[in-house]
Amino acid sequence: MSKKYILGVFNDEATLVDAFEKIKAKGILPTEVYTPYPIHEILEGMGKKTRITHAAFFYGLFAAVGILSFLTYAAVIDWPLHYGGKPFNAFPSFIVVTIVATILSITLLTLFTFSARAKIFPGKKAEIFHERATDDKFVIVLDTENLGDNAKAVEEIIREHGEVE
Amino acid sequence: MYNSKVRGKLIEGDKSLGQISQEILAPIHRKKPPLWWYAALLVSLSMFGFGLYAKYVTISTGIGTWGVNNSIAWGWAIINFVWWIGIGHAGTAFSIFLLILRQKWRTAINRAAEAMTVVAVFCASLFPLLHMGRPWLFFWIFPYPNTRGPLWVNFNSPLFWDFVAISAYLLISASFWYFGMVPDFATIRDTAKSKVKKAVYGFFSFGWTGSSKEWLRFEGLSFVLGGIAAVLVVSVHSIVSTDFAVSVKPGWHTTIFPPYFVVGAIFSGFAMVLTLVITMRGLYKMNDFITDSHVDAVCRILIFISLIMGTAYVTEVFMAWYSANDYEFSLFFRTRLFGEYAFQFWAMFIANAVIPQLFWFKAVRRRMWVVFIISIIINIGMWFERFNIVVTSLSRDYLPSAWASYSPTWVEIAFFTGTIGMFITGVLLFFRYIPMIAISELKSVAKFDKPNNGQLKSTGHE
Repeated sequence: MSKKYILGVFNDEATLVDAFEKIKAKGILPTEVYTPYPIHEILEGMGKKTRITHAAFFYGLFAAVGILSFLTYAAVIDWPLHYGGKPFNAFPSFIVVTIVATILSITLLTLFTFSARAKIFPGKKAEIFHERATDDKFVIVLDTENLGDNAKAVEEIIREHGEVE
Repeated sequence: MYNSKVRGKLIEGDKSLGQISQEILAPIHRKKPPLWWYAALLVSLSMFGFGLYAKYVTISTGIGTWGVNNSIAWGWAIINFVWWIGIGHAGTAFSIFLLILRQKWRTAINRAAEAMTVVAVFCASLFPLLHMGRPWLFFWIFPYPNTRGPLWVNFNSPLFWDFVAISAYLLISASFWYFGMVPDFATIRDTAKSKVKKAVYGFFSFGWTGSSKEWLRFEGLSFVLGGIAAVLVVSVHSIVSTDFAVSVKPGWHTTIFPPYFVVGAIFSGFAMVLTLVITMRGLYKMNDFITDSHVDAVCRILIFISLIMGTAYVTEVFMAWYSANDYEFSLFFRTRLFGEYAFQFWAMFIANAVIPQLFWFKAVRRRMWVVFIISIIINIGMWFERFNIVVTSLSRDYLPSAWASYSPTWVEIAFFTGTIGMFITGVLLFFRYIPMIAISELKSVAKFDKPNNGQLKSTGHE
C-alpha cells in the first residue's frame, strides 16, 4: 500500500460508535469503517446514501408496464385466440403474471445493481485491512494524510477503548 | 428495539462475538464430518438413486407406469408437488414476514428455513415437470417467439400462472438466501485455516469485507427484497390454489381456497422448520442459539395456525351442506367424511387440527422429542390434506360413469421417496458446508442481551 493508514480496532459496537462520533467531532471523516454487522450510526455518520430503493422502484415500474404490454400484444394483437368465450383482452387474468414477473424482475435487476455498485461479484479478491473485521472486531480506517495536526488527538480517542494498529 | 422480557434471551450463555462465529462455524471448520453424517448421506443418496430410477422408468416407458387414470389424472405427483411447495413456504414466511414484523428471534432460524425452502421448491418442481408426460418439451410453456405461429401460451390458464409463480419463487428465494450468506462466507474465509477453504469461500464471498459502503447497500437491498418478496408469501400458494379453484369440480370450486392454501403452506413449512431446528439442536448442540424460547415461539404460532386450519376444514364441510349443492354434499358426506376416503380425511383432521392443540400445554412445548414428533405428524397430516383435495374431488365427479378409484404404483412411491432423499441430501450438505445460522444477523442482535453496552451508548448520543 502506498498510502499510510491508521487502524482503530475496537471490541464492541458501543465503543466503536463512541470513538467514531468523537473523531467526527474533530472534523475528520474516516476513510472507511469495517464491521461484522451493519451499524446504523456508522452508516448514517459516513454520510453516504444509497439510491438502490429508487432504482428498484423504476425497475418495477418499467417491468410492470413492459410485461403487461407484452401479454396484451401477444393475446390481443399478435395471435388472438378464443378461450372459453372470454374477451381477448382478459385483463384481470393478466394481472397475476404481471405481479409475479415484476417481482422477479425487480429482484434480479436490484441484485445486479447491488453487485455492480457495491463491487461485490464472484471471485473478487477482498481488500482486507483487518482479518477479524468479519469476525469480532470493529475497525476504523483513517488516512494519515487527512489527519494533519489532529493525529495525536485521534490516537488518544481510539486508545480510550480500542487499539491502534 | 428488543426490550421485551416475554421471550427471554436471544442467545444463551453470554457469548462474545468471536465465540458466536466460532461455534456456528465449528461444523464447517472441522476436518471431517462425524460418522453419522456419512451414514445419513449414504441412506439419502440411495433414496435419491431409487427416485432417479423411477424417473428413468417414467421417461423411458411413459406416464402409464403411474397409477393415474382418465378421471384421476393428478394423483401423487400433484399431491407431492403441493406438499413440497407448502414446505417451501417456511423460508419466506420466516425471513420476510418476521423481518417486516421486526421479530428479532427470527435471526437464529431464518437461514435454515431459507435453505429448506430452496431444496423443497426444487423437489416440488420435478413433479409437474415429469407429470407433463413429455418433459423434454417443457420449454413450450415459456412464452417465446416460436415457429408455431408464433403461438403464445394461454395467459388465462392457472397452470401457466403456476409455472411463472414457481420459477420466480425458486429464483427469488435462492438469491435472497445466497446474498444473506455472502457476509458469512467472508467470515469463513477470514477464519479458515486450510488454504482450499480460504480459496473456495473467498470465491463465494464475492470479495466482501464488511465496509460501511457494502453494508449500506446491503441494507438497502434487504429492504427492497424483503418488501417485495413479502408479496410472494401470499401469492405463490394462492396461485397454486387457483389450479384447483378455477376449475368446476365439486370440492375445488370455492373461494376459500387461496387463504386456505396459504395458511396450510405456512403451517407445514413451520412444522418442517421445527423438525429441522430440533435436529440441529440435537446433532450440533445449537441450543444456545436456537433456545427453548425459540422453539416455544414456533409452537405458539402453530397453535394459532392449527386453529385456522380447523376452522377452514369445518367451513368447507358446513358450506357443502349449507349451499344445498347436491354434488358438493355428496362429495363431502359420502366420499370424504364417511366413504372410500374417510381414513385420509380423518387423518388430516386429527393431525392438523387436533394434535397441534397439545401445544397449549407448556409441558409439551418444553419436551423437545414431543415437539419433534408432533412436527412430523403435522407434515404427514398436511400430506393427507393434499390427498383429500386432489384425489377425492377427481374420483367423484358429476357423472357416475366417470367415477374412479386411485392407488399409486411403485414408480410414484419411488419418485416421492427420491425427492425425500434429495431433500435430506440437501439438508446434510447444508449442515456441512454452509453456516446453518446467519452469523452476521445473530451478532447484530447479540447486544440486546447485554445491558452494559446499552448504557455506554446512551451517554454518547441520541
